[in-house]
Amino acid sequence: MSTLTPPVIRERKRGGGPQNRDSLWAALPWVGPVLLLIFGVVLFPAAYMIYSSTRRISQAGTNVEGVGFENFATVFADPNLPRVLLNTFVWVIVVVSVTVVLSLLLANFLNKPFPGRTLVRMAVIVPWAASVVMTTTVFYYGLDRDYGIMNSFLVDIGLLDSTYGFTKNVATALGAAIVVGIFVSIPFTTYTLLAGLQAVPSDALEAAKMDGAGPVRTYFSVVLPQLRGALAVAVLINVINVFNNLPILRIMTGSIPGYSADTLMTYIFKVLQFDRRLDIASALSVVNFAVVILIVAVYVKVVKPMKET
Amino acid sequence: MKSRLRKGLVAAVAAGTLMVTSCGFGGGGSEAEGEGGDTTIDMLVPSYSDNTKALWEGVVEEFEAANDGVTVNLQIESWENLESVLQTKIQSGEAPDIYNGGAFSAFAAEGLLYPAEDIASEDIIGDFQESFVENESFEGTQYGLPLLASARALFYNKDLMEEAGVAEPPKTWDELYDAAKKITDTGTPGYGMPLGSEEAQGESLIWFAGNGGGFGDESEITVNTPENVEAAEFMKKMITDGVTQPDPGATQRTPMINVFAQGKIGMVYALPQTVGQIDKENPDLNYGVANVPTNTGEPATLGVADRLMAFKNDDDKQEAITQFMDFFFETGTYVPWVEAEGFLPTTKSGAEEMASNEVLKPFLEMLPDAQFYPTSNPAWNATDGAFKSLMGQLEDQDAKTVLNQIQAKADAAG
Repeated sequence: MSTLTPPVIRERKRGGGPQNRDSLWAALPWVGPVLLLIFGVVLFPAAYMIYSSTRRISQAGTNVEGVGFENFATVFADPNLPRVLLNTFVWVIVVVSVTVVLSLLLANFLNKPFPGRTLVRMAVIVPWAASVVMTTTVFYYGLDRDYGIMNSFLVDIGLLDSTYGFTKNVATALGAAIVVGIFVSIPFTTYTLLAGLQAVPSDALEAAKMDGAGPVRTYFSVVLPQLRGALAVAVLINVINVFNNLPILRIMTGSIPGYSADTLMTYIFKVLQFDRRLDIASALSVVNFAVVILIVAVYVKVVKPMKET
Repeated sequence: MKSRLRKGLVAAVAAGTLMVTSCGFGGGGSEAEGEGGDTTIDMLVPSYSDNTKALWEGVVEEFEAANDGVTVNLQIESWENLESVLQTKIQSGEAPDIYNGGAFSAFAAEGLLYPAEDIASEDIIGDFQESFVENESFEGTQYGLPLLASARALFYNKDLMEEAGVAEPPKTWDELYDAAKKITDTGTPGYGMPLGSEEAQGESLIWFAGNGGGFGDESEITVNTPENVEAAEFMKKMITDGVTQPDPGATQRTPMINVFAQGKIGMVYALPQTVGQIDKENPDLNYGVANVPTNTGEPATLGVADRLMAFKNDDDKQEAITQFMDFFFETGTYVPWVEAEGFLPTTKSGAEEMASNEVLKPFLEMLPDAQFYPTSNPAWNATDGAFKSLMGQLEDQDAKTVLNQIQAKADAAG
């Protein structure tokens, strides 16, 4: 289990004299509860996870002894790891990129005035409002070979000769999971981008028009650069969210034997549930945590989302 | 003055932080004390059927009415989650006082359990069938109280068999293969083989036992023996030749038995409760129950016994646990419970009481030839998990390779 630490905006202050320390104490009653919460639900569990990853924990769950980095050695020597990592990256990259592209189209569409726009805007939120487990379960049963409505539909329109076990084969199960992942990620992304679009000042658009820029030129040279901040937030949050997604994958790919359809998250879960290795699962979670941090760091470094345009 | 106030604040925050910490790790301790010397027993049980919750609640209600000052805190989990919930509870020091589960030896080996004689009166312990008691012991001490037993039998759809031209239910593997092939040729899957994560170990042991194999004993887990490999190769042959349902490696038992109950699979191995389930959901299904077909025709099947065990917690709840066990295993409470769940009883008095039950008779007859899981082997938990996550690979991997992988996981845990 890894948790997302809310971004801390650090204000740089000159000097750290006694006056500064005084104001820190004075602020404590206000920030105290938040600090407590962060400590209780973020830092402490994370630290405990790291601690567990360096212990040997018996099958029954008792903490036996410290083993240093032995669990990590086991994790990195695991022959399943390369496939699991590959699946994880395919899953994250496909879901996030398709989500962002579709959301961008949708946000542009919803930004134009048309009759019934409010209704359409509300409809877009629905997948967000529904429970992810519920949405995924609907897809899972819809794709079931014996009584799935989507399966019989595909047979009825002649795309399939007979019903197919979509959730029972690696490629199709991952594909179906990706579709559900995109479906549930679109509302948040669309709304973030829509907010960004609405913040584009109309005088900039007017100026572009005056200067004789066509719609395409206006979009790519004026609108898109202004969306940079919104896009950056949407991508970053989606990457973390999708990376750490368990319910969709666990439902869609859960019945596939072996580890060929697993991502890091579902693999950790299997190590915990079937192998009963709390220690190895903790070590894997630490790796998971490190990979997320690495992705975020690389992203911030390369894309510079905070840079002013 | 001002600074003293600040110090007070810091102390308060620090104390608050500590409280948050201790909540996650020592919770439950205070509630166990209760008011006026009351005892609360935490009970963690799996769900056997849709009735399980109501049945346990009924038992608990009667027990609480008869025993002042003892309350039972009931938690019901699905079989899929049960063991991970338990493990988390143990790790955080909140082991349930009474636990209904499968494997117990790993807990016994670490001294986490009360011996059976400490949690039930002599009369109750003496009433269990001898064959079960052996299965409940670890290094000579009985820890589990066998709660219920089950066995597997072959359920076959008479209409589909007739349509395919199969006269008799199969008695050997070859007959099973032929029957499955003939039924498959009529357009319905002939044999249902659930090798998904729900119960791959069950299906595997039925087949292994049918070839004189098994999973080993208290001291050694044997998965990749020649007998087992031969059995797995025959299973693989059934899969490759397409006489099973599609994707057996990803098929879970419960949904598959539902499909059988709808008349869409020729033959499956199923449980005593399946009889009741079909009665309720599709009473028109024309089916029969027969002995498990084996390689040579010698009788063999998988038997399962689940048990109640009691974890030692800091609070001394031993007396209350004993009260509960004595109350529950009394024939008047126990037999209706087992009967409603559709299982076989583990007590002598219970067996006498249920001998007249015609539906369960074939299963009661098969029980003497049943093979049990080696639950008293500390590596059994890991073996069980390895079967659940890996056995389904039989679909596209060589039988020996799959069994070797499972053996490796068992050896790593042993």
